[in-house]
Amino acid sequence: MVAAPVDQVPTLYRTLLVYAATSLLIFIAGLVEFAYFEPPGQHTGLKATIVGVYQYDPDHNTLIGPDKSSFPRTSQFAAVVDWSSLPQNMIFDARWYDAFENIVGSAGPGAPQDLAAHTIVPVSVPPGLQHNLPGHYIFVVERWEGGVPVEVIGRRVVMVER
Amino acid sequence: MGAAISARSANPHHRRPARYAIAIAIAVTLVLVLVASSILNYVYLDTVAGSTSLYGLLAIALVAVVAFATVRALVHEQAERRRQFMRAGVVLGVAALCWLLLVDVIVFTYSAGLGVAAVCALACLPTTGFALLVLRALDRNETEPWRLVLLAAAWGAVVATSLVIWAESLWQAIAIRTLVPGPGLDVSTAFSAGILEELAKGSAVVLLFLVMRNEFDDVVDGIIYGAAVGLGFNFMESVSYMTHLYAVFSPEGLGGEAAGFQWYARQVLGLFFGHATYTAFVGAGVGIARQLPDVRQKIFAIAAGFIVAIGAHFSWDAWLSAFPIDKSLEIVEIHMRTLIISGPFTAALLAVLFTGIYIEGQALAGQFRKEAALGTGAILPEEVSILMNPWQRFQQRVRAMGRGGLRAYLLVARLQSAQIDLAMERWHRERNEIDAPPEADGELRRRVIRLREQLAAAVA
Repeated sequence: MVAAPVDQVPTLYRTLLVYAATSLLIFIAGLVEFAYFEPPGQHTGLKATIVGVYQYDPDHNTLIGPDKSSFPRTSQFAAVVDWSSLPQNMIFDARWYDAFENIVGSAGPGAPQDLAAHTIVPVSVPPGLQHNLPGHYIFVVERWEGGVPVEVIGRRVVMVER
Repeated sequence: MGAAISARSANPHHRRPARYAIAIAIAVTLVLVLVASSILNYVYLDTVAGSTSLYGLLAIALVAVVAFATVRALVHEQAERRRQFMRAGVVLGVAALCWLLLVDVIVFTYSAGLGVAAVCALACLPTTGFALLVLRALDRNETEPWRLVLLAAAWGAVVATSLVIWAESLWQAIAIRTLVPGPGLDVSTAFSAGILEELAKGSAVVLLFLVMRNEFDDVVDGIIYGAAVGLGFNFMESVSYMTHLYAVFSPEGLGGEAAGFQWYARQVLGLFFGHATYTAFVGAGVGIARQLPDVRQKIFAIAAGFIVAIGAHFSWDAWLSAFPIDKSLEIVEIHMRTLIISGPFTAALLAVLFTGIYIEGQALAGQFRKEAALGTGAILPEEVSILMNPWQRFQQRVRAMGRGGLRAYLLVARLQSAQIDLAMERWHRERNEIDAPPEADGELRRRVIRLREQLAAAVA
């Protein structure tokens, strides 16, 4: 008497279910990471005052012209933040992100009184390049807690033209 | 293979299986998404892309209506009318693909111009073509037809990219305006890419499973079709990134270097590790579902395939930045990064693929032997060992060419395909996983015998 061959498709099915269970663990890890960097219940209602984004002269640390939302790539530019409107007992910072999410300029973190000397937050040209890379640049003012930024309290998006 | 399919389709189906209704529902949903995408293109993109998108869609819809009305008016015989509708459907499908390709070309490559886009596409063609050849070579027992493999790749390149562009853009726009930039935003973007892109790519595999059941036999076929869809998507994404980064870095004199790096990362290093692996998991799930008897298990298998695909895709996008690249060790670290994040998924997929190939090989060998034992003449006892080995099949074709030229080579190839189709059909029937009537086996046997007679005449 010959034994019937074992059907191996259910083995493949169970293997795939194990893979899927592992993937669900990956999703959970992703959600935990998301919750760590975007902790729920952190909305304070605070609003940072971003005065504007201006063309910037790095040699003289001065601003040129009016508030603008787009710049040619050959122009240097900077955001101006009014730190005085923020509570003194909290920690804040400001950052510029380029289109590749690289930090290309920052101030802080620190209490508003420590940041008072950093009202102008310029964008730096990445090392090895002559001008800014084109694309959307995001400027954010963030509130910190537990050593990480937990809430964006001010945001500006500007376009660097090609 | 094509003839074998027609032999199978020659068998009358008394009722249309329910899977066709599911396929139509999926197709209608996808068309609605494409219509919404076209309207958004028209509203938000510049004049050329927007107009091409919307007016192209209207033109195809108009042609479809005219074709339908013409066939109805001119053709009264039922079978002929069905055939004409089928032809019109194929032509319209090709037209729709061309239209989407045109929109893709404009949307994804406008940043650096058509010339740069063409060079980038030409650079990606040999690598993607090579990967498709490797895929078909892996499918050693019963190679899938080129037309379906290429259709799957075209879906990945043209349809899937069109399906996700607006959904991903919308997700990204909301995320940028609400989340703290950094790892949290990266995780959000990774969920967006994983879920939306795998659904768009995976829908092609599901449609092939529902509509082309004769060419979708098991987990191996699922992996081949899924990987082909992934390779197509990877092709278009590579061209898109290469042209975009060329445009961004060319004013600094680094355009070629940036595009070249993207080519290496996506078309060499990530060719099999990226989208091909992700969507192959969808195919694995669908392929396993093909051979499961229980509907609940089928649904779980398909869902599991999608979950693994999304998990693999998510891992890469979310944790890529966890491997900071140091300039001094850049070349090593880039490779290590791919191996560490995507390597385990590719290895897990290969384990399923090779197990599937083994199961398929064993099953076909058993069916070859059983058919030979029947003495119908469709498979002769001495042909069993040849049919089980791709290299021996190739040698048999070459020997035939020596005796009867190219015609004999092609006839042997068709004969071998028909014999493998017959064994595959027997395997599915033995497992009760086929909706063709039993007469289909007889039809396949008659086809094999006809081919054998034609071959005998060719080499005589």
